[in-house]
Amino acid sequence: VITILAFDWYFPPSLRHFNAATTLVLGLLLVIVSAVGAFAALARRRATGSEQARGILADEQAALRRVATLVARQPSAEEVFAAVTEEVGRLLRLDGAHLHMYERDGTATVVGAWALGTVPIPLGSTVDLEGDNVAAAVFRTGKPARINDYTTAQGATAERLRAMGVRAAVGTPILVDGRLWGAMAAGSLGTEPLPADTEVRIEAFTELVATAIANAEARAELEQVAAEQAALRRVAMLVARGTEAGTVFTAVAEEIRRFLGAEAAYVIRYEADATTTVMATCGDAGFQPIGSKWAADGVAAQVFHTHRPARIDGRRSSGAADGEIAGQAGGRSRVGAPIIIDDRLWGAAVALNFSSGSDLPAAAETRIAKFADLLTTAISNADTRTELAASRARVVTAADRTRRQLERDLHDGIQQRLVSLGLKARAIETMAPRPPDALRDELSFLVDGLSTVMEELREIAHGIHPAVLSEAGLGSALKMLARRSAVPVELELNLGPRPAEPIEVAAYYVASEALTNAAKHAQASVVEMRIDGGHGALTLSIRDDGRGGADPSRGSGILGLKDRVEALGGTISVRSPPGQGTILRVRLPADPNAGPALAPGPQ
Amino acid sequence: MIDNHQMPTGTAARTLVSQRVPRVVLADDDVLLREGLASLLDHSGFDVVGQAGDGTGLLALVRSVEPEVAIIDIRMPPAHATEGLQAAQVIREEQPGTAIIVLSAHVEADQAMDLLAGGERLGYLLKSRVTDVEAFIETVRRINAGASVVDPSLVRELVRAHRRHDPLDALSPREREVLALMAEGASNAGIARRIFVTEGTVEKHVRGILTKLGLHESETDHRRVLAVLRFLESR
Repeated sequence: VITILAFDWYFPPSLRHFNAATTLVLGLLLVIVSAVGAFAALARRRATGSEQARGILADEQAALRRVATLVARQPSAEEVFAAVTEEVGRLLRLDGAHLHMYERDGTATVVGAWALGTVPIPLGSTVDLEGDNVAAAVFRTGKPARINDYTTAQGATAERLRAMGVRAAVGTPILVDGRLWGAMAAGSLGTEPLPADTEVRIEAFTELVATAIANAEARAELEQVAAEQAALRRVAMLVARGTEAGTVFTAVAEEIRRFLGAEAAYVIRYEADATTTVMATCGDAGFQPIGSKWAADGVAAQVFHTHRPARIDGRRSSGAADGEIAGQAGGRSRVGAPIIIDDRLWGAAVALNFSSGSDLPAAAETRIAKFADLLTTAISNADTRTELAASRARVVTAADRTRRQLERDLHDGIQQRLVSLGLKARAIETMAPRPPDALRDELSFLVDGLSTVMEELREIAHGIHPAVLSEAGLGSALKMLARRSAVPVELELNLGPRPAEPIEVAAYYVASEALTNAAKHAQASVVEMRIDGGHGALTLSIRDDGRGGADPSRGSGILGLKDRVEALGGTISVRSPPGQGTILRVRLPADPNAGPALAPGPQ
Repeated sequence: MIDNHQMPTGTAARTLVSQRVPRVVLADDDVLLREGLASLLDHSGFDVVGQAGDGTGLLALVRSVEPEVAIIDIRMPPAHATEGLQAAQVIREEQPGTAIIVLSAHVEADQAMDLLAGGERLGYLLKSRVTDVEAFIETVRRINAGASVVDPSLVRELVRAHRRHDPLDALSPREREVLALMAEGASNAGIARRIFVTEGTVEKHVRGILTKLGLHESETDHRRVLAVLRFLESR
């Protein structure tokens, strides 16, 4: 029963409506029934076959009926508390009963209240645990307590009870897993002290209540863990998928906020100038824009200095920036956890309550820290990926540049020299007014040899780097490839604006490799090649009608292309079912430098 | 191949071609090659009136001397890309009367067609062709006289390209040979000399080829080159 309650009380609204409502209602029924049953058994033992026993039995029946009716209506937690408290009061034939839950700050909150002939303390009231009252006495001793006469009792609560006409009361602890959770206090308006066995009779009931709360707390904890795991898993999935870091930041802020029931959550990055930059925000507040800079203040400052999770509760403390990012002047409760990358403080994730007046849950620090750890992975991954891609792209580009230079050296250097030598040889011919035939023959032989060398050189240079690519662009280069292909190529070119050179080179090599494979391995009779440009990407789709069954993991051709394509931030896929040809699809960004980049923080 | 039969050389050429010796400018950033080529041309009935090492120099030179022929290396400073081609386009706009021969380390179809679209008296050749001196001189002469010429290696690539449904399959081997020569820019007389048949036979082949490929008779040799190239490139 109180199950729900305990859960409900401790945890954020989003978790209150968990799906196990039916289970809990059943649990509630069981607890009430057991409690009533146990009490009835006790009563039966004590009231020896008398009229009294019969009356108690009737009360039991009535209690059961009421509870059954209540359960049928699927009650809220508040109703259950009320019902349980009332049953205790009625079954013990007292005038009032209150269920107290002890708070961390040394007060108790009334979570169940019932009275007959007087007005009970309103639900949700905070009860001072100072002075003389049974709730306070139970809180101090952890044991049952009784006050036989409230007329001389001290303190605000005693005063309040006196005003209600309470004369005598008994309180019993509710111990959940050995921890003092709360107390059930029951009292009468009569001048007689309550019967000596009242504590025992309530205890029989509260033990069951405690068990129920313990079960509920265990279940709630499970629910909590499950919810946390689910939330973490969602973020982890994003990280694993290599989702752009900004999206992960936002997802983390949202999960933190939802999970802690906070009003706002955000992710900040610490900068070298002791400011913070907003990376992601979430909540109903009027957030400052992502990318805006703020002084590292409040929890942000604490996390910055300690590199550990930090909490600030209460309005009085400084730290305007905590709330300012959420467009609020300060915040009542703020918890932040560091995001540490390579032993270096990168930023912080912060949850914030500013108007609800309630503090963030006790475990908020460790929970936020878990999400912050995921961000660590996300950011490191993104950094690593960016660095890796950049370095792969650099390697590929450097190799391409070398090849291009080689091609130039061959054409502009060696070939040029050979042409000059050929001309020189021809000039020798004209030097003698009537050159002997032998000399002419030798010179012709020399020049023919030079021509052959030049032709071979041209082919070698083309293999090293197709000059047509840099001079006339991808379209011309692909047309040349298609003309030179051993397998007929049906080429469809829809090129937009000319892409960056590394992209053109990659696309060219993809097409070249695909055509080579189609001719050498696939025994294809035709290749359809389609290239689409524009919209910030270049896509190639190359399909042959060959025997298929190509294994991209074998043979370095496609693997080399994969490296090249991925280094540029592109994707490549090969489908090659046996007997059904091979389809190669490649997508390249038009601008290879447009990938996500994360500037790391300073620390 | 380029028409190279019955090649007149040296002083004989001067008397054959025209009363006026064609004035030529050369543009190439390789001085050695440029000088070699100049000497070759000077010995072959041409008058090399100026040399330039880059596109800017070439344009200034052409504007001042207004030559009959400009022989231009495609790659020149500053970027060693297609400066020669760009200069050729400017010359064509400013002085359409100047015959232009672009020399390149490699030849490519789109480039050739872009260049030839500029009009008559254009040549697009591999640079290494200059070492076949007689053929080269004859080609320069033909271009100066109105022909347009495309390097045989490019034509070979175009003709040999595999196509799924190839219209060239309808041609006989001899017709293919004639088609390639048409694409290179040879006249009917030139083709006749090359394949050792009469000009009348060539005309018959040409008509047959055009009919089979669905092409129209062209008014000039230049247009014929362009039409055949376009056909081969897009078939």
